[in-house]
Amino acid sequence: MTRGVTRRPLIGLVIPAAVAVLFIALPLIGLLAHVDWSTLPSQLVSTDVLTSLRLSLECSIIAVAIALVIGVPLAYLLARTSSPGRRVLRGLVTLPLVLPPVVGGIALQTAFGTTTPIGTVLQHVFGIVLPFSTAGAAMAEAFVGFPFLVITVEAGLRSRDDHYEEVAATLGARPWRRFWRVTMPLAAPSIAAGAALCWARALGEFGATITFAGSFPGTTETLPIAAYSSFEGSGQVGEAITLSLLLLAISILVLVVLRDRWLGALR
Amino acid sequence: MTLNAQVRTRLGSLHLDCDVSIESNITVAVLGPNGAGKTTLLRVVAGLLPIDEGRVEVNGTVFEDTATRTWLTPEARRVGFLFQDHGLFPHLSVLDNVAFGLRARGVDGRTANARANEWLERVDLVQYASSRPSALSGGQSQRAALARVLVTDPQALLLDEPLAAVDASARLDLRRALREHLATFAGVRLIVTHDPLEAASLAERVVVLEDGHVTQDGPFAEVSSRPRSAWIARMAGLNLLHGAVSSGAMLLDDGSSLTVATDVQGPALATIQPRAVALYRRAPDGSPRNVLRCTVDGIDPEGDRWRIRLTGQFPLVAEVTPAAAADLRLAEGGEVFAVVKATEIDVYSV
Repeated sequence: MTRGVTRRPLIGLVIPAAVAVLFIALPLIGLLAHVDWSTLPSQLVSTDVLTSLRLSLECSIIAVAIALVIGVPLAYLLARTSSPGRRVLRGLVTLPLVLPPVVGGIALQTAFGTTTPIGTVLQHVFGIVLPFSTAGAAMAEAFVGFPFLVITVEAGLRSRDDHYEEVAATLGARPWRRFWRVTMPLAAPSIAAGAALCWARALGEFGATITFAGSFPGTTETLPIAAYSSFEGSGQVGEAITLSLLLLAISILVLVVLRDRWLGALR
Repeated sequence: MTLNAQVRTRLGSLHLDCDVSIESNITVAVLGPNGAGKTTLLRVVAGLLPIDEGRVEVNGTVFEDTATRTWLTPEARRVGFLFQDHGLFPHLSVLDNVAFGLRARGVDGRTANARANEWLERVDLVQYASSRPSALSGGQSQRAALARVLVTDPQALLLDEPLAAVDASARLDLRRALREHLATFAGVRLIVTHDPLEAASLAERVVVLEDGHVTQDGPFAEVSSRPRSAWIARMAGLNLLHGAVSSGAMLLDDGSSLTVATDVQGPALATIQPRAVALYRRAPDGSPRNVLRCTVDGIDPEGDRWRIRLTGQFPLVAEVTPAAAADLRLAEGGEVFAVVKATEIDVYSV
């Protein structure tokens, strides 16, 4: 099909569009311009940076694990049931996406804080204290990240009907076998994409984590929190920039891994 | 071994209400237009769709009986279902696909793979054992799906439009191959199709299902030569008339009358072969012949026989050679006289 006259772009839109590109590009360029490349290698392997990196990886991986265990079943039920409450449920699940993370942190504090009923039971029966602990940081990250997994997996499951499950049933497979041998393998690509998104969000999580878990080096001070503290508190702008660069590199990595899933649809 | 199904169920606008009894060791085709409920019937037998009322039984095992609230899950029914799209799992190799049913029924991996391999040999697909189903052609994937079903030794074999997912050029060979494979299975063989040719070539018995009801049942030759519905008559390429016969005349439902040569009395159906309809520009005389004044509604050239659709007292299709059509100067909207000999009208009781 030939391009029609109406497909010609409006020249007047080029200027705001160029501003948009600069808006994204300039801060990134600024960040790169302020990197002290000579001290970068030594800063990257400094104990402080490595400690926050290890903590960040730990917390974000636990967050993804929590999201997988509870998020995939929820996505499955949202995709395969047609109960009237489903829309409300989906709205509830996606709330953390638009909720200010600080509010999420405060909400977690009010539900699981040491003075709350649940917090008391956790502390006295199981010996678990969530606020201001590594487990709490992981929990805050899971809270903010798991909607990404649920939404992605639900869309993946919804893109197929239950035809292959029917085929498996006529071949003698019982419901759980159908789930593990047919439903899950077919949903694997969307589960992987959802987990990657969830992980990226958990890794960058700041507001909910600092509110619920605070910023204790080695316990709850993850990469973004460490970047903020060194930038704001101790005035070590160099270290803040190094940490930012590290997070930027990870973000780009996620983007590259998922490029076909995200950008493929737009091409 | 038999399959008995009395099914009464509603699904959307479809109201399926049919009783079928299928004996084993012959292939029975459920033939009917799209939306008649053919696939629904198969899904009911396989247990993929519960029914409102009725009973399904295969080889003495009650699968479902709404009167006694009996219900067997699809996995407990041991029914082989060949889906229209073949339903091969895209994430498994061809071998794992064929072994799936055995593994699901608790056969250990080695035995399952060995038996799956045997079947791949039988359907000539051993070289594709480790391929993904996407690497198979339509015919190959059909054979893989058939092997996957037959390796589990099912009690009945249900095939839903088995040749629909195959391109037309390969259909002739596939039909023959399918017939040979079907013959090796001794149980109940039920095939669903909307294509009379497929029913004729694959099945010994044809059950015509229209709008959820069985309208005809018997060998294909009988069903197609004595159609009981407009759909099957059209499929067989025949003109079908409804009416009542008394003393050599058939009074049609629309009030017109035809001279017929038959012993049948009372309500009857009659078929006229399109090539037995002769066309004239002027009304001829002589009897015993039926002369009908008609208008040409449409002309469908089909090879060396042109099908002329006529309207008049009742719609009629005639078949003439292109030369005759030119001679008659046939044109849409033109007037023509259709003549049918009484002996060319096949009359049979309703």
